[in-house]
Amino acid sequence: MTARRNPSLVAGGAIVAALTAIALLGPVLNRTDPLAINLSLALAGPGPGHPLGCDSLGRDILARILAGARVSLGVSIVVVALSLAIGAIVGGAAALAGGRIDGAVMRTVDIVLAFPGILLAIALAAILGPGLLDLVIALGAIGWTGYARLVRGEVLSLREREYVEAARALGARPGRLLFRHLLPGVAGPLAVQATFGAGGLIIAEAALSFLGLGVPPPAPSWGNMLDSGRAFILVAPHLTTAPGVAIGLSVLGFNLLGDGLAQRFGRRR
Amino acid sequence: MGLAGGVRRRRTPVIRYFIRRLTALVPVALGVVTLTFALVHLVPGDPVVAMLGDYAAPADVQALRHELGLDRPLWRQYVAFLYGLAHGDLGESISQREPVSRLIRERYPATVELAVAGLAAAILIAFPLGLVAGADPGGPADMGAMGFAILGISVPHLYLGPLLMIVFSLDLGWLPLTGRGGLSHLILPALTLGAALAAILARMLRQSLVEVSDADYMRTARAKGLSRPRALIGHGLRNALTPVVTLLGLEAGALLTGSIVTEIIFSWPGLGRLMITAINNRDYPLVQGCVMVFALSYVAVNLATDLLYSAIDPRVRLSR
Amino acid sequence: MRTERRFFRTGAIAAISLAAIFAAGCAKAKPRTPSGYLQIDINTSPANLDPRVATDAISARIGELVYESLVRIDRDGAFVGDLAEKIERPAPDAIIFHLRHGVRFSDGRPLDARDVLYTYASLLDPKNHSVKRAGLAELAAFDALDRYTIRMITRRPYAAALEMALLGIVPRGTPLAARDAIAAPPGSGPFKVVAFERDEAVTLARNPYYPAPPGALGGIVMKVVPDATVRALELTEGICGFAENDAIQPELIAYLSRQPRLRLIRSNGTTYQYLIFNFRDPRLRDPRVRRAIAYGIDRQAIVAALLRGDARLATGMLAPENWAYNGDVPRYPYDLAKARALLESAGYTRTRPLRLIYKTTPEGRRLAEAIQAMLRRVGVAIEIRTNEFATFYSDLRSGNFDIAASQWVGVADPHQYYLIFDSRMTPQGGGNNRGDYANPEMDRLLEAGDAELDPAARRAIYARVQQIAAADLPYVSLWWIDNVAVIDRRLDGFEPFPNGSLLSLGAARWDSPAASAGAAHP
Repeated sequence: MTARRNPSLVAGGAIVAALTAIALLGPVLNRTDPLAINLSLALAGPGPGHPLGCDSLGRDILARILAGARVSLGVSIVVVALSLAIGAIVGGAAALAGGRIDGAVMRTVDIVLAFPGILLAIALAAILGPGLLDLVIALGAIGWTGYARLVRGEVLSLREREYVEAARALGARPGRLLFRHLLPGVAGPLAVQATFGAGGLIIAEAALSFLGLGVPPPAPSWGNMLDSGRAFILVAPHLTTAPGVAIGLSVLGFNLLGDGLAQRFGRRR
Repeated sequence: MGLAGGVRRRRTPVIRYFIRRLTALVPVALGVVTLTFALVHLVPGDPVVAMLGDYAAPADVQALRHELGLDRPLWRQYVAFLYGLAHGDLGESISQREPVSRLIRERYPATVELAVAGLAAAILIAFPLGLVAGADPGGPADMGAMGFAILGISVPHLYLGPLLMIVFSLDLGWLPLTGRGGLSHLILPALTLGAALAAILARMLRQSLVEVSDADYMRTARAKGLSRPRALIGHGLRNALTPVVTLLGLEAGALLTGSIVTEIIFSWPGLGRLMITAINNRDYPLVQGCVMVFALSYVAVNLATDLLYSAIDPRVRLSR
Repeated sequence: MRTERRFFRTGAIAAISLAAIFAAGCAKAKPRTPSGYLQIDINTSPANLDPRVATDAISARIGELVYESLVRIDRDGAFVGDLAEKIERPAPDAIIFHLRHGVRFSDGRPLDARDVLYTYASLLDPKNHSVKRAGLAELAAFDALDRYTIRMITRRPYAAALEMALLGIVPRGTPLAARDAIAAPPGSGPFKVVAFERDEAVTLARNPYYPAPPGALGGIVMKVVPDATVRALELTEGICGFAENDAIQPELIAYLSRQPRLRLIRSNGTTYQYLIFNFRDPRLRDPRVRRAIAYGIDRQAIVAALLRGDARLATGMLAPENWAYNGDVPRYPYDLAKARALLESAGYTRTRPLRLIYKTTPEGRRLAEAIQAMLRRVGVAIEIRTNEFATFYSDLRSGNFDIAASQWVGVADPHQYYLIFDSRMTPQGGGNNRGDYANPEMDRLLEAGDAELDPAARRAIYARVQQIAAADLPYVSLWWIDNVAVIDRRLDGFEPFPNGSLLSLGAARWDSPAASAGAAHP
């Protein structure tokens, strides 16, 4: 029934669920070591034992795609969760506090939005040392602003609703008001934005890999696979096809899911 | 979201609104500058070492550090930087020994050109797609157009750029590979940069058209005998454009800063590449200058969008 | 209705501009390189072309085409006269240079001893903070005996004194701390700089006062193209007519040599790739650990796969072409069992992975990953630090690494050993002993080698130096990278130098008259 009314939700949900399953089951599915090099197979095309071929160091591309799912999706989901948590608290608090605090918070959001994210990423990579954690912090430090704006806007409009007025009249403290009454009302739009955000982050991870700031080696991520394969696009295009398709498919999945959720919650992006 | 989140709505003359928005820029600009200053100086690495290289004598390193004022306490460097800024002086590039403002002036037009071209490419692709899809939601055209749009979001720049080069330059020989020149040099980078935005815009336009087509005035127009497409174009489009323009503003700023990857791939002599080089050289004044220009451009584009927004939708009053 | 009209108008404008863009696009773009010129794609932009401050490799390459120096390094790696037509050594601490007559700068001014003295004086002026001052530390005095004779006095008998005569000469009066650094001063070499757009291109035209063979290149455009694939595409499409070494990705060489309009020139090179150990780490101070790592890296396999065979396995910094080369040194062929046994006898523990830093290029990263995977088999965990260049460089200098992958380019005189292995030559001491390596015997030899003027005795000293270096393993010698150039088939007369110099392009020419028909200044 849902499938007919909301095909995006079903298709997107299925893709995201399948990718998540791959990420979770990664080590079980992988029979080849994604880190083991075999220089005599460098750039080898698809063949028996290596259905997607080998990369420039002779590592099995399929094994790296499967292992990379964990890194790429993991980074994307953790960053979304982090940004969402920060954004919801900051945006909600700003809306409830109002006045100067609200103004100050929103100016901060403006500053972060106007700030070239790449510089933040480079700076954090240099200060914290490269690593997954630094990547997550860098992306999260930029990402929370969108959620803060969204939550603030929604809370400002919800605040005037009767049930919130009632709760406030009954003496609910601001924290309780935010978490018990306001944020649940924002859940729908937040879910939509988070889903689109997760897709965007997979692309962002690839862009940071391009600038040498992605997941550090030898761990495979789709972004660093795409980036390192790019140099071989003329002689061994299979190095980029696999991560390219993986990235495209997951972004497609998240976008369809986001469309579906938006339809479900009856609002647009 | 700019205006939609506005609380109070009051009639304000455009000029006063404009001035108020401009003054609101000052704290944002100051914040960006401060953040840049802090980050650039926190990062390990030394502009003097990056500049003098392998064979420099320690005494020379010390002397140059002194001449550049890098041996002063950080807060004094900050104050000096702000003081220069207030006098319109962005300082001098450490690695290139030229005024920062001149280096930026040399590069900025190329970045703006690329961003505008990317925007134009996005609009030129998005509008036909969005209209076709929105005119017949659920139909085959819609499926095709939206499938195409999804593809646009899903392909990262660093993959699309080389693909376009191989197809249009190497295989077909239609377009030049890289560099800045006439319009022909602009097409591939513009498509690379604009593809994702085109996809987002097309989807937004379609969604928006679907929503307005259910509106009362559309039913009225249809009842008066206008065909569906004519009604859509004559009455629906203008209303459907409002959210599209908002999105455009938010994304156009991102286009400016997002052009770094495209600039590197296409050897485009823009500000993004200048900034990356400056970061690599720890060229503090130049990094600060580039970041500030990027940030102010972003803010200016948002301001322009807000103004455009009010022009398209007369119901919206300038507020905040 | 007005809205409707407006919409159609907008639509029409949009459609027309779209059509215009595509029409413009389909009209094949005019090449930016003037006809008769050679376009060379380079991967990074030169920083500053003034020979008195230029330190980066690309600036030096371009500088050789624009400036002449008292001496230069020939194809065999030996010093030969350039501006000097005769060189005398009247005393152990003195050298006399007799300048060629009739040399002119590209602006027509004649070049004589005063220009040479000025160039050195402006470099040595402390006000100018030239980075090259440290390289002239052994120079005691420099004076002109007459208009065409120059005498150089060193502080002590100094074998590597001619290295100090490699500086490009500029006309007297040329300010150094030029605020307008983009304008390169005139030189007396075969070309002159006519345009320098940083990160974009350097355009060289012929120096009208320098004799050119018939059909010679009208000029050279050095175009900065950061992306390896794009450089390969430009070569394939004939936009670019020359690329070499760093600018060509090894894996693309086979593809490029299949292209009908291109020719591949391969020759032995002297660029030395190595791993340096940081002796500040107690684990790496144990020679067994260093040896285990040397045995654990399958250099042959890396050269075959990553460099497509375009390198020779190295025994030390000096390549066989060098007069002081000694190949009779300890070697470390790949031996996994030996590596594991050495590591075990050293009692190596896996507490913390060793941090490996490398020059941040895609090729550097592949090398780092290959070494990481190979040492994993030995039982040494490696953490790769991927940083952008400034951080890499500052980490390298400040000793913030355990192992670093780097290279020395254009090593000519064995004096270089003093700078990298003498215990006092740490970065703080003004040298490049970045791993804090110290061996008293090595120090003694290196100081003796600098003061020894007899070539045979000097060779004996450095033969021992090379043996100690290979036994002590402050560096793991990886390989000497071959020189590879991919050039337009119509280009004649390019002769590769082991150090990668482009010097021969001054006399190179187009072989078909059609190609040089339009040769003219832009």
